[in-house]
Amino acid sequence: MKMDSLDTGALNRFSNLLGTSTVFGYLASILMVAGATLVCEILRPLLLPINLLMIYLVTVVLAAFNMGRRPAILTVVLSAFMHNYLYVPPRYGFAFQRKEYLATFLGLLVTGTVISSLVTKARERAEALREREAETASLYRLSRELVTATDRPAILATVISNIEMTLTVSAALFITNGEELELTKASSDFFPGEEERAVALQANLTGQYLEHYQPFQGKFCCFPLATMQRTFGVMAVALTGDSTRPPEQTHRLLEAFATQTALALERVELSHEAEQAQNLRMRQKLERALLNSVSHDLRTPLSTITGVLSSILVEGDRLTPTIQRELLENAKDEADRLNRFVGKLLDMTRLEAGGMILKMEPCDVQDLIGCALGAMERQLLNRQVIVDLAPELPLVDMDMALMNQVLINLLDNATKYSPPGSAIEVTAWCNGDSLLIMTADHGSGIPEQDLERVFEKFYRVPVPEGVSGTGLGLSICHGIVEAHGGTIHAENRPDGGLAVTLSIPLSLPQHTEDTNHGP
Amino acid sequence: MAPDKQSSPPSRILVVDDEITIQKFLRSILSSEGFTLQIADNGVAALTATAMFKPDLVLLDLGLPDMDGIEVIRRMREWSTVPIIVLSVREREDDKVLALDAGADDYLSKPFGMAELLARIRVALRRVVQTAEPLFKSGELEVDLASRRVALRGADMALTPTEYDILRLLVSYAGKVVTLNQILKQVWGDAYIDQPQVLRVNISNLRHKLEPDPSRPRYIITEPGVGYKLRIID
Repeated sequence: MKMDSLDTGALNRFSNLLGTSTVFGYLASILMVAGATLVCEILRPLLLPINLLMIYLVTVVLAAFNMGRRPAILTVVLSAFMHNYLYVPPRYGFAFQRKEYLATFLGLLVTGTVISSLVTKARERAEALREREAETASLYRLSRELVTATDRPAILATVISNIEMTLTVSAALFITNGEELELTKASSDFFPGEEERAVALQANLTGQYLEHYQPFQGKFCCFPLATMQRTFGVMAVALTGDSTRPPEQTHRLLEAFATQTALALERVELSHEAEQAQNLRMRQKLERALLNSVSHDLRTPLSTITGVLSSILVEGDRLTPTIQRELLENAKDEADRLNRFVGKLLDMTRLEAGGMILKMEPCDVQDLIGCALGAMERQLLNRQVIVDLAPELPLVDMDMALMNQVLINLLDNATKYSPPGSAIEVTAWCNGDSLLIMTADHGSGIPEQDLERVFEKFYRVPVPEGVSGTGLGLSICHGIVEAHGGTIHAENRPDGGLAVTLSIPLSLPQHTEDTNHGP
Repeated sequence: MAPDKQSSPPSRILVVDDEITIQKFLRSILSSEGFTLQIADNGVAALTATAMFKPDLVLLDLGLPDMDGIEVIRRMREWSTVPIIVLSVREREDDKVLALDAGADDYLSKPFGMAELLARIRVALRRVVQTAEPLFKSGELEVDLASRRVALRGADMALTPTEYDILRLLVSYAGKVVTLNQILKQVWGDAYIDQPQVLRVNISNLRHKLEPDPSRPRYIITEPGVGYKLRIID
């Protein structure tokens, strides 16, 4: 079933011997000798017969240079006979009886052979050099393209197309996936059968080159894609017998291709692993921060509530009604705070899990702002709120409940981080296809380098004493606005204070749920 | 507006909740307010108790062990008009709309304050007693349903027929949220369900006529993602 590569090499050489190119070579050498003879006939009256030898020698050189070793030898032999037959007296007869004529004949034969052999060697060397150059060029092209391939499918596609282009043969790539070896990518005309798959599997297991010879389909060669660390799979190539390239060279080139491919696969895998490790580290860091923050934000109000309740349970009789009431109000505030925090955590979780399904409907921007101001009524009690709405604002597609939450969070921040009694501004206007809403306060703003970070989870500005926050409000805003296909950013105002501006598209064209109903 | 303890028998409230602590808490608070209580801890028991105990009001938790609270509302509504106030930890607007559209009268998110709960109970009970009060007053707003007259600070307001229909609907449910779809269905008809644009525009116009500051409405309050309610200002 399997054949030694040397035997097939000999077979190929034999077919080359009978190949069409060689037959043409012999014909051409006969024609060239005929041509030389014609030239000699023209020059015969002018030159001595011995000088006509030079014409034949030139012909031999030309033949050797153009047609290779065997046609050149034929040229030598034919030339020697023609010269002896036509130009060494007697004309039209062979003159081997005189020693000098025999020497001329043998001299031409030997010199011709030596020259043709030298020229052929030079020619072959040049050809080998050219092939080596082409080989290097194709390897270079492959490695250059592999560098730009950033993932496994891109690498596999690159390899297949390079093999097809360089060798004009079909190829297939089998890649290991756990215990299995899967045919992952192949030339469009290549369908390896059961037997070929078995050979590929074997090559993958042993990590050795294997081939499978089929009488009418050529050779199925399996190159393992192996690096020092591991074997990624098998590169299989269907070689047909009529390739002009010497088989050892093809084999060497394909081996180099396989090595390049394996290295590229390893590179992608390593960078993928590094990326995952990085992600994992980030996640762990975030989770630690989250746990710290959650345990702090949950425990603090709980300790107040527990403290108040236990003191009233134990000391209730000795506390004056006023103190009891104060304690209870304190506990109630903390319970409310705890509830808000849990609500925000839930919102955040929903946003992150992608479970926040937007209920888009056309909304009145004035109504939206009114709702948020209404919800913040208590906190805004002693503040001037300046609402500036552009006239003729259209209805804007949004999830009103979520956008209301965004505005409440923004207003909440504005009240927390600006002096009591200072004004807060809410401005809404349209710009092109977007609705913009800005909330602005007269607080101390945020350090410039932190402006980007305010939308990160659990970021808290260095806050004045007594301001409690979860560090979740703005990241929830960010998540909701982003879910609306919008953006949000914060900037310090030139005259002090922070301005947060959100922008959402006026309408989402892909939102077509409403068309299912009525007129 | 507290239940009249002298002249009428105490209102009967059915509490449907499977959490023992909530049951205990509601029992002690509501009993001290003079209500008669019955407790059911699952949906089937709630439906049976509604038929047997004939409550004046149902306080319903949505997360019941045997069936979803929304389903309980639907089944009750097949044969009963008893006011239902939903008490639930589900605070998403979708859940509120589902409950209200199924026929609940009001929706209160857990945790809730006692004052808030008692206020909602009073509103729900009052609606049963005085369904067709022709003259509605809230703050400086007066609506006379009998003569279709709307007045602000004593001055008559000219409303379009649609604006008046919306206002009348909100007045008849004063103090509780009416969902967008309920308004659309009753004012425009079934075909307009899920087409809130017309409603948004009309509400905006109504506010410009009735509200001192349309940016910070006093009377027509939006419950974002749920609907509108007319606030009762004494």
